[in-house]
Amino acid sequence: MPYRIMDLELSRPLTGFTLASHETGYALVVRWDGRIIGFLMKETPEGFRMEEDELRELLERELALRILNVKLEGSLADRWPATPVLEPPSLTIAICTKDRAARLARLLDSLEAVRGQSAFRALEILVVDNASVDPDTREVAESRTDVCYRFEPKTGLDFARNMALETATGDLIAYLDDDVVVDRGWLSGLYRVWADCPDAGGYSGLVLPYRLDTPAQIRFEREGGFGRGFERIHHRGAQLGNPLHPVGAGVVGAGANMCFRRDLLLALGGFDEALDTGAPLPGGGDLDIFYRVLRSGHAIVYEPSYAVFHEHRETMAQLRRQYWSWGLGFMAFLEKARRTDPAMRRRQDAMVSWWFRDKLISLAGALSALDLRRAGDLAAELRGAIQGLLGEYDRSVARSRRIREQVA
Amino acid sequence: MSWDIVHLDLKQAPTILDAGASPVYVVYWWGDLPLGAHAYAPEELPLRRDRLLALAAGFLAEQVASRSPGFGGPPLARYDGQALMQPPLAQVRDLRVTSALLSELERPVHPDADELSVIVCTRDRPRPLRTCLNALSVQNAPPGEILVVDNSSGRTAASVCLDFPRVRYLHEPSPGLSRARNCGVAASTRPLVAFTDDDVEVHERWSGEIVRAFQASDVESVTGLVIPATLDSEAQRVFQMEMGGFGASCLPTRFGQVFFEETRHRGTQVWHVGAGANMAFRRRLFERIGGFDERLGAGAAGCSEDSEIWYRILATGGDCLYEPRAVVFHHHREDWHGLKRQMRAYMRGHVAALVVQHDRYRHRGNLHRILVQLPRYFMRAGLDAVRNAKPYRGRVLLEEIRGWLGGVLFLFNPMWRSRPAVPTIAPPNEQGS
Repeated sequence: MPYRIMDLELSRPLTGFTLASHETGYALVVRWDGRIIGFLMKETPEGFRMEEDELRELLERELALRILNVKLEGSLADRWPATPVLEPPSLTIAICTKDRAARLARLLDSLEAVRGQSAFRALEILVVDNASVDPDTREVAESRTDVCYRFEPKTGLDFARNMALETATGDLIAYLDDDVVVDRGWLSGLYRVWADCPDAGGYSGLVLPYRLDTPAQIRFEREGGFGRGFERIHHRGAQLGNPLHPVGAGVVGAGANMCFRRDLLLALGGFDEALDTGAPLPGGGDLDIFYRVLRSGHAIVYEPSYAVFHEHRETMAQLRRQYWSWGLGFMAFLEKARRTDPAMRRRQDAMVSWWFRDKLISLAGALSALDLRRAGDLAAELRGAIQGLLGEYDRSVARSRRIREQVA
Repeated sequence: MSWDIVHLDLKQAPTILDAGASPVYVVYWWGDLPLGAHAYAPEELPLRRDRLLALAAGFLAEQVASRSPGFGGPPLARYDGQALMQPPLAQVRDLRVTSALLSELERPVHPDADELSVIVCTRDRPRPLRTCLNALSVQNAPPGEILVVDNSSGRTAASVCLDFPRVRYLHEPSPGLSRARNCGVAASTRPLVAFTDDDVEVHERWSGEIVRAFQASDVESVTGLVIPATLDSEAQRVFQMEMGGFGASCLPTRFGQVFFEETRHRGTQVWHVGAGANMAFRRRLFERIGGFDERLGAGAAGCSEDSEIWYRILATGGDCLYEPRAVVFHHHREDWHGLKRQMRAYMRGHVAALVVQHDRYRHRGNLHRILVQLPRYFMRAGLDAVRNAKPYRGRVLLEEIRGWLGGVLFLFNPMWRSRPAVPTIAPPNEQGS
């Protein structure tokens, strides 16, 4: 069942590989000089043997041009006049977590491996414990040196993100979900994108799968996963030829791996605590913050070498629930945006109708291809979206107020 | 609102591309080598050092892979005309990026273009014709001869030509672009024949680059890049951005037997080879396979007299090369009415050419395209217009469907289908002057 995920460094000699008898596919994280330049996954027969020639042909087709690109970028940098060097900012890495001590420990281990290369002026790791029931989270965080621990009693991801925002000391604040581990290029990638674009309001990064062990994980990644490609992308408040931008804020990145200028987020009032309130409305907070940063006139830059590996949902039921929550979270976010940003009203309305048209056409396609699982996922997403349009944001505002009162 | 067109030379290592009040269409260059184009809203600008550098690296990677020695020459065309890029891994790995490598890409060669005849066919457009001839008069490598074929009944181009002593004026009174082109070919005396249109301004290195491309390879036809000269009106922008203009690829691409054999059963998409506004041939090709089909082209079925010649080249074992170093600037139709008429004529001419191609070689793929692929394309375009709420795309689509219906009529017209329409072309030395 599982796919084998392998690291492939192309600046070293190429060799073929053989999958074990229970492995039904491969996924290659392809690097050039350590930098991730591509991700290739494919289903294969069990125990598949990839010969060197076949591998070379695959790489030539998919990635050889990318290597040339990276090489040229390196050498052209000498021809271009250098930009003045600014003083590096300080960075806070904020991890919001709830009752997942083992995953938190895994993430902290991966951060430990990269923090030595930091070029930032100062580095702080902040664990925000979002009302964990068991004490393990606290123990894991406090057993580490140089890790600050905070407890946020109000359940809800955006309560925790705001707690991090208020207690952090860094000029930049990089948020990580607890179900990721960082790539070895994560910190240097973030530094490089800051150095190239210091006036951006935020940065988002690549999210690759950590494991592809279950059908749900493979399926999710095959449907596109969190992938946003392997080239840097600058997102701003408008995009020629895209009349829906920036309302479709999901293209910017994913909440599991994003970074912002802290003063900007504070000025914008932080995260909307009515989104991401856990089980009833488990999403939308990242879309909302991306949208507000772009609307404030700041850029968000997507940088692929600022990469993490994400543990995808394990079971089909969880995956279907995730599709449902995306529909729900997206529409709740749109409902909120309609109220708070009426200048974009026409785009928001156009987005709602585009989204439903798009999903219905896809649903028709899935049904006619007899792909019932895909049709089910789309139906779940549509169900979530309808629920989202029918007052979910108001219910959630009320819910977050109750949470606040209970804790007070 | 009108868009600005900005030409930016990345070789000068610019550190900023600033925003204006309106959207800009940026054409990127490496010296005289065109690299690509992109359109930006004012809010997307400025572009700073890191983005300009990244753009340069991305563009140059493609150029190196398709032009530098050791990479196997111009890439072959895929079924859709895109260059198939698959540079060998060993070459890529070992490549050292040097200044020599980069300057080689835009090597300023000024070959003598004396062996080139340039033919401009025109009909009642004296003012654009003057602009066109001005550009042809200041070529780095002046062509051996310039022929203007006046296809108007009132000889409206004659007085313009008087101001250009090097231009030979010809009059072809019977209407039809194919006839005018054939008249020009028959009168030409040089071994290479290039065509451009009266609404075009050629780049100063255009004729030199065409000759260079023929010298460097054994192809029968060379086509080049068509860049929009202005994007002032919505009709021009829809044509360029939505309909793909005359193609915008900046990679040299070889259309040969692989391309033809792989796609013949589904109707080879020959129009990807290039555009009639920027194409050239060896003269002896016409002596071998005859001139342009006079049932096709503007003034007859509508267009596609150019792509039908490319079809004949491929079907008789020849190759074509798209070489974007040969650059022209085209003035697209400004008004909606003109654009709609043009899209209708394109589709009608396209279907007519498919009928002609089928009849000449009995390649059934051409009928498959008329009866299966084009209806499918209309459905997809209609779906796209609805899904993405593009009313103007819907309007253009209706014209295309009308053009298709007009073209299908040719299928049921045995008289038209059996009419001999390809004149033979005699070698230049056998004709009187």
